[in-house]
Amino acid sequence: MSDFSIPRSQSTPAIQGKWSEGVLSMQGDSYPENSYELFHQVFEWVERFLQDAGRPLTLELHLLYLNTSSIKAMMDIFDLLEAAHHAGQPVAVNWHYDKRNERVADLAEEFKEDCTFPFAIVGF
Amino acid sequence: MTPDQRDLDELVKRLLADPANSDHPMHYALSQLWLAHRELLNRIERITHVSDAYQSIAREREMSLAERFDKQLRQLEKVARISDRYQQMMRELNIALEEASTHDVLTSLANRRLLMERLKAETERAGRLQHDFCVAMVDIDHFKQVNDQHGHDTGDRVLIEIARVMQAEVREYDLCGRWGGEEFLILLPELDLASAQVVVERVRLGIRNLAIRQGTEALTITVSAGLAAHLPGESYSDTINRADAALLRAKQHGRDCLVLAS
Repeated sequence: MSDFSIPRSQSTPAIQGKWSEGVLSMQGDSYPENSYELFHQVFEWVERFLQDAGRPLTLELHLLYLNTSSIKAMMDIFDLLEAAHHAGQPVAVNWHYDKRNERVADLAEEFKEDCTFPFAIVGF
Repeated sequence: MTPDQRDLDELVKRLLADPANSDHPMHYALSQLWLAHRELLNRIERITHVSDAYQSIAREREMSLAERFDKQLRQLEKVARISDRYQQMMRELNIALEEASTHDVLTSLANRRLLMERLKAETERAGRLQHDFCVAMVDIDHFKQVNDQHGHDTGDRVLIEIARVMQAEVREYDLCGRWGGEEFLILLPELDLASAQVVVERVRLGIRNLAIRQGTEALTITVSAGLAAHLPGESYSDTINRADAALLRAKQHGRDCLVLAS
């Protein structure tokens, strides 16, 4: 399986999946008109990685604004991680936020609520 | 199976098995009837079994649907909650942005953009409703000397203190703003020249009574001001120009005074 990379646009975040490192990163705002189109490739990549790679997976998130369908997509991805975690696979999320906007940290807390895998909220 | 039925079953079996009955004319008919009866019972049992199986499949499906429904509902509630909070965050950021784009960073007074917006609105209102309004231009006397002698930090403090006094001395409906550098503009709606003069004089005296600490000494700051009443049909920049001209005369008359525009 290979890496993938989606460049940032005005309404979508930059996304990189690095298969050999086991890292999926996202940076920016996400309010696309069609979230499914954007996130299904991310979802599939995560699904395949968890199935085939046999390595730990870490998500490095630098996300600021998410629209409603992007929130749903992120929750679906976290559900995948949660299932993998229950199956004994090491997964982790690092949610990075700008300390000048503490509200992003509160929102990350909301996402973290139902997750039992390691989920760090890191200020910079 | 009821006890009566069981007794009847036993009786039929016994009669059919008894060799003494084998030549009885009804033996063949009874044995055929017995077989048909057994077959029917078997079939009923099979149907019951299949039907039960279907029912339990339907029930399992219903339970898993209910479970999925509950899960989706919980997820939907969470999505809505997070989405609401994102929108709240955007709203607050918008308000902060609006504040930043309409206010002066140093003094927190209205900036030139907001002043012009309000001057335009007030001019339109004056035209529509024949209301009065006045514009005062206020300029700090010898501000360059403050900066040169005491440094820009002190200069900034003077600007902040003067802004505070202005804000405190005007009426609630008046708008004070920083027009640029050490020049301020006060918009006084619903006032004629004589009433506006009272307010601007109060501001001017308030500033003169202000003692700004600078090490061991206290700085006394004075301002000059020009005041103009908006004339019917006049553009707001014309009103500002007349207030500016009055301010210039105040400076020429030795500063620390208010001059009314003709």
